[in-house]
Amino acid sequence: MALLDIKNLTLEINGSTGWIKALDKVNLRIEEGEIRALVGESGSGKSLIVRAVVGAIPENWRLTADRLTWKGRDLLKISQSERRKIMRSEIAVIFQNPVASLDPSSTLGEQLIESIPGHILKGKWFWQRSKHKQQIAIKLLHKVGIKDHKKYLKAYPNQIADDIGQKFLIACALVSSPQLLIADDPTRGMEITTKIQILKLLSQLNKTRNLSILFVSHDLLAISSMANKMTVLYCGQTVEDGKMEQLRKRPLHPYTKALLDSAPSFRKDLPPKSPLSTLDGTIPTLQHLPIGCRLGPRCPRAQRECVKVPELRYVQDHFYSCHFPLIREKE
Amino acid sequence: MTALLKVENLEYYQKPTMSLFKKQSGFKLSKINFELNTGETLAILGENGSGKSLLGKLLVGAEKPTAGHIYLNDQKLSPYNLRQRCLNIRMIFQHSNESLNPGINIAKILEGPLILNTKLNASERLQKIEETLKLVGLLPDHMFFYRHMLSDGQRQRLALAKALILDPQVIVADEPFAALDPSVRSQTINLIMKLQKDLGLGFIFISHNLGIIRHISDRVLILQNGDLVEAGKTDVVFNWPKSKYTEKLVKSHQSLITPN
Repeated sequence: MALLDIKNLTLEINGSTGWIKALDKVNLRIEEGEIRALVGESGSGKSLIVRAVVGAIPENWRLTADRLTWKGRDLLKISQSERRKIMRSEIAVIFQNPVASLDPSSTLGEQLIESIPGHILKGKWFWQRSKHKQQIAIKLLHKVGIKDHKKYLKAYPNQIADDIGQKFLIACALVSSPQLLIADDPTRGMEITTKIQILKLLSQLNKTRNLSILFVSHDLLAISSMANKMTVLYCGQTVEDGKMEQLRKRPLHPYTKALLDSAPSFRKDLPPKSPLSTLDGTIPTLQHLPIGCRLGPRCPRAQRECVKVPELRYVQDHFYSCHFPLIREKE
Repeated sequence: MTALLKVENLEYYQKPTMSLFKKQSGFKLSKINFELNTGETLAILGENGSGKSLLGKLLVGAEKPTAGHIYLNDQKLSPYNLRQRCLNIRMIFQHSNESLNPGINIAKILEGPLILNTKLNASERLQKIEETLKLVGLLPDHMFFYRHMLSDGQRQRLALAKALILDPQVIVADEPFAALDPSVRSQTINLIMKLQKDLGLGFIFISHNLGIIRHISDRVLILQNGDLVEAGKTDVVFNWPKSKYTEKLVKSHQSLITPN
């Protein structure tokens, strides 16, 4: 059974010109022990999906879904407190900007110790319990690769580097030994050596703890090195969904292809200084979304049918939504 | 043929801030030598705090070097003659969004450098602005827009226009692509490569994206903690790295491309 199963998730925001569909029938499924990448450019609604799963959606937005279940329990129907309980113990989230999402007025140690749930502590008396807390904190820091625990447990968030902050947030997320870790752009703006450290840490956790990871990013390089499956989003619509190798070898949707082509590292045959292939135009803003397939105006293969939203089709377990997929050329 | 830009023994030492209790050492950028020809791209690579942005600032004259000289077409650039420097070496900043004034329209943003550095009159300035906007793929009508009305890609084009408007010979770009989405990024890269071909610009490009560096640059400088670790032709450095640090960088990049 899937851990997290989302079907036809639609999120509407009340704008000045009526309701705008920020997410339009998004499907996402995370099995146990897999790393799934959620890829999309800015404004594609990646972070909105994360917020919808977590439950941090403002009241005046309209959230509807055919299915939004966590291990078979419908997240939209259960009560707030029950949902919070799930969020506390089974799902953990790492947010985009690590240093900014920590409390600047208390030390890292205080924040980590505060997030240790009471029921895993041993000892009857408070001094035993607080000692155990310290031990857990130090162990966690070692686990995520922060060796100098003495220095960092006493440091304030403004004193630490970005990569330490990111590792620390992973440590915080692991405290309650969750089953799903949602990492919202964890490698943004990092240089390559620290990026690799974080990626290695995540895939190691995936292997040793059987932790499922939802890796939200637009850094295709980072994603392709670790993810098993990938979901591509464009402007709030799921564009393609499938196994990583399959998608990389043979993308069916023009957008996925453009995205893969835009990273020069993937193409060894590309002569230096030759122009890269791109899509024309820019990402539309939420106020000016095109009807039908939202890639329509930028798509090189668009035809008249594209003003209708394409249905989700599939070849084996490779889903795509396009009227004119790239498969036809080959037949 | 003489080199377009020649840097000789450029050094920079930042004095430590005075403190009674702590012993602090200042940041030092050790001797740097390189040459750049017309139409060439030089990439500066290094981790955060390695001094790559500082080197960019030294080149455009935003910081004054403690020793060493910069020659442009065999002519020594004085650190105090900023007008000459402005006309020939221009900079693009990392966050194109924050480097544009939100309160004035694009015509005024682009007019600023023209008023300060040239003797053109109002109608000539207007003509120049129109030409430059067309050059970077914007419309002359964009003159009346404000910053917030443009998309990310358009802002980056505008930042490029701001650099190009004085017909410079060298452009220094500090992480111009870091904040852009993949599809918009490729557009900007294509634009820069096209402009470089058409105008024969020398392009100095500071980044830590190895894929892009490999694609667009002719030569690379690799910095670590203010020291020049390695310099040379891009494909030579990437295929046969000499120093350990470069090897580590290239290896980690390779490990990302080929899935495990």
